Amino acid sequence: WQKVLYERQPFPDNYVDQRFLEELRKNVHARRYRYRAVVFQSGAVVQQLCSVCVFVLTWWYMAAGALSPQGLFAAALASSLLGYVLFDAVDGGAGRWASGRTRWADLKSTLVFAAFTYGFSPVLKTLTESISTDTIYAMSALMLLGHLIFFDYGANAAIVSSTLSLNMAIFASVCLASRLPRSLHAFVMVTFAMQIFALWPMLQKKLKAQTPRCYVGVTVLFALAALAGLATVSSVGAVLFASLLLAISCLCPYCLIRLQLLKDNIHGPWDEAEIKEDLSRFL
Amino acid sequence: MAAGGPAGGAHSVCMVSDFFYPNMGGVESHVYQLSQCLIERGHKVLVVTHAYGHRKGIRYLTNGLKVYYLPLKVMYNQSTATTLFHSLPLLRYIFVRERVTIVHAHSSFSAMAHDALFHAKTMGLRTVFTDHSLFGFADVSSVLTNKLLTVSLCDTNHIICVSYTSKENTVLRAALDPRIVSVIPNAVDPTDFTPDPSRRDDGIITIVVVSRLVYRKGIDLLSGIIPELCQKYPELHFLVGGEGPKRIVLEEVRERYQLHDRVRLLGALEHQDVRNVLVQGHIFLNTSLTEAFCMAIVEAASCGLQVVSTRVGGIPEVLPENLIILCEPSVKSLCDGLEKAIAQLRSGTIPSPETVHNKVKTFYTWRNVAERTEKVYDRVADEVVLPMDERLGRLMSHCGPVTGYIFALFAVLNFLFLAFLRWMTPDSIIDVAIDATGPKGAWTKQYFWGKKGRVKELPSSKNAQMKRKEHNSH
Amino acid sequence: MEERLYRSASGAPIALRPRQHSASCRELAVRCPRLQLRSLSAVTSAVWLAAYGLFVLSENSMVLSAAIFITLIGLIIYLHFVKIDQESLLVIGSLGIQVTSSYASGKESTTFIEMGQVKDVVINEAIHMQKVIYYLCILLQDPGDPQGVSDIVPLFQSSKPRLDCLIEVYKSCQEILEQRKTAPQPSGIK
Repeated sequence: WQKVLYERQPFPDNYVDQRFLEELRKNVHARRYRYRAVVFQSGAVVQQLCSVCVFVLTWWYMAAGALSPQGLFAAALASSLLGYVLFDAVDGGAGRWASGRTRWADLKSTLVFAAFTYGFSPVLKTLTESISTDTIYAMSALMLLGHLIFFDYGANAAIVSSTLSLNMAIFASVCLASRLPRSLHAFVMVTFAMQIFALWPMLQKKLKAQTPRCYVGVTVLFALAALAGLATVSSVGAVLFASLLLAISCLCPYCLIRLQLLKDNIHGPWDEAEIKEDLSRFL
Repeated sequence: MAAGGPAGGAHSVCMVSDFFYPNMGGVESHVYQLSQCLIERGHKVLVVTHAYGHRKGIRYLTNGLKVYYLPLKVMYNQSTATTLFHSLPLLRYIFVRERVTIVHAHSSFSAMAHDALFHAKTMGLRTVFTDHSLFGFADVSSVLTNKLLTVSLCDTNHIICVSYTSKENTVLRAALDPRIVSVIPNAVDPTDFTPDPSRRDDGIITIVVVSRLVYRKGIDLLSGIIPELCQKYPELHFLVGGEGPKRIVLEEVRERYQLHDRVRLLGALEHQDVRNVLVQGHIFLNTSLTEAFCMAIVEAASCGLQVVSTRVGGIPEVLPENLIILCEPSVKSLCDGLEKAIAQLRSGTIPSPETVHNKVKTFYTWRNVAERTEKVYDRVADEVVLPMDERLGRLMSHCGPVTGYIFALFAVLNFLFLAFLRWMTPDSIIDVAIDATGPKGAWTKQYFWGKKGRVKELPSSKNAQMKRKEHNSH
Repeated sequence: MEERLYRSASGAPIALRPRQHSASCRELAVRCPRLQLRSLSAVTSAVWLAAYGLFVLSENSMVLSAAIFITLIGLIIYLHFVKIDQESLLVIGSLGIQVTSSYASGKESTTFIEMGQVKDVVINEAIHMQKVIYYLCILLQDPGDPQGVSDIVPLFQSSKPRLDCLIEVYKSCQEILEQRKTAPQPSGIK
């Protein structure tokens, strides 16, 4: 018996040969994950959750008057400078050299951004006056959730959009800043949002790539700091947040690995072939 | 009865598919040609499909092939909507008045085919299903469609696939016993595809591509092959027949590399024009990414062209190795394959078109397909149709806990609906239709009993009328 | 000639009464089932019950009088314009075909088709509601094209006889049409 159609073979049409389904392959593209690696990768999600937590806490303290805008601005400026130095130090300036961006350009964009934000901060302050505070809170919560959903955690998925994610976070910060007492508060809040949602993930990414050990340490410290801050506001919230972080970094990877064993994906000659080459070079 | 008539008595077969003429495609011509050959062998055949525009009601095609164009709503891609119930009154009426014994449904994309299988099983008729396509298993949509296929085929008497790969695929998708799945390939009419070496220009080398210009046919690969080879071989020309969303890609390539005189895009081709395009070429290129049974390469080989094709789906089973050059689905591999074909052409080691044609024409004929399908019918006619209780048991045990129970409930509802219809219009008051084909066929026996003689004179101005329609597409 | 009993496509009993007036003149009448007292009283009592229900709710006696009027007018319209008692076909070889439908009230509507216009009488199949039925129809000659057909006149649309009855009528018609074809037509008629 041959697997050909053009010859008449002395077998009935419904004959089932030994070789039936011999080209069947299972789980060709299934990846075997290691628990430690998955936990390490989940650090990105933990970091982003903590960032949102820290941001909301900062706003809370500012709104309550417990944190002065000058103090926050100084702290943020100091950590930004530290981060800026680290950003170049971690890879020995290789990334900067590759992108070809000068320090002068950095300074220029920082100044332009700061000047514009400062100039528009009175507008920001009064922008949402006609909107009810409940709507503002609901909108901020929704936008921060959106930020977490669309953030680029390193997965190659269609839903990922770092621009949309950043925009949603900034929108949330503008909403929240408008409920602060003065326009200086609003200015500091928006710059802080920029630092924690735009600059901090960039540094994280670099740390993760260059010094994984250091990255783990930073993540743990950051999470602990966020938890401690949350504990001063609400102890129940802190416990819940801690369990959420634990679930994401320990339980979810475990589930992923267990469920991976149940994967039963069938492949064979009937699959639609994939075009693996990059054909755009012809156009 | 025709010579070499059916051994196990004549069957009364009802072909059901959403896809039929005037729509064009592989399934359509399969249904038509198979029906014609079964009529020739003395069976009664009718086709049930949905209305195409003004073409609704009852029509007669060549040799008295009776076609019911039912007024059902088309949903998507010429496939009707399925509610599992709304088509029962009409289909039951047809099955009863035509005394159908076997319901033969075609194509897993056709909702009407699945509906008909469902109703036929409720009415206790034998069922056969032909699957014409391949499906993956990876994405969500295929998971859903595969589940529906499992439900539809778990109590079908016999399944026909067009290639061994297609059989493996269907067996896996619908979790079937492979022994109730037969492999009967498609066929081409070799008299339609004859070589004509005088039509081609031997000063140049022409590569012909005839396919719909869509992603699944690998047109993106073609857009890489054209510039690659045109730069290497100045005497190379491409002739592309077919229409589709990917045409723009080919036009861009032609524009970018200034190949207007060497790459001709012919647009949509009528079926009768395909041969005239094929005979102008030396090499036929097929870049499909998935294919159950590739008719195009058989047609091209029948016209005496050297075939270069991707090694996907059932293609390796279709032609012997000396008639086809198989490549991996990548630009590089296909270019290598084409270069090999060009080298053979230049050195003259390729067999002449006549010898290729004479060889290919013995491979696939509709008569052979009809003969083998008839064996399936004979086999099915001896089988018992599952009674209702066993059918419900099969559904519940075979299709998983949730789906199984839901469809078992549907089967019960369908049965009650049928009982209601039988009470409303008992079978006894449904007129038995005059056979156009089959042993008592008014058409095949030249037994013009009154009205049949006058049937040809009817116009096409009103819907729902007999019309003898000579099919111009074949 | 006596009546022959058949059934309609929906199963109701109908009667065919062929009458031979002369060799080339024949009348074929199909009598539809009579209006049954049972269904009439069922419809009437249903309407009145509904009206009484409305009356109880609205306590307005206008509803009751309106219901009486509606049933009466409805019955008149039904008998006058809807309910067909008998459909007959008069075929006169030298003249033409006359199609008459008599309503239950006695009103008659008549169509006459000149023999010169008649191309043929045939039995055809159609999808009607959820059924596939046979029906008899007259094909009209297209004046411009001797082979063409300009229109189709369906016959017995109300009674919808089954195939056996249609064949009977068809054979009668064909006999006369055949005579016309064999014998040259007198020119004075046109």
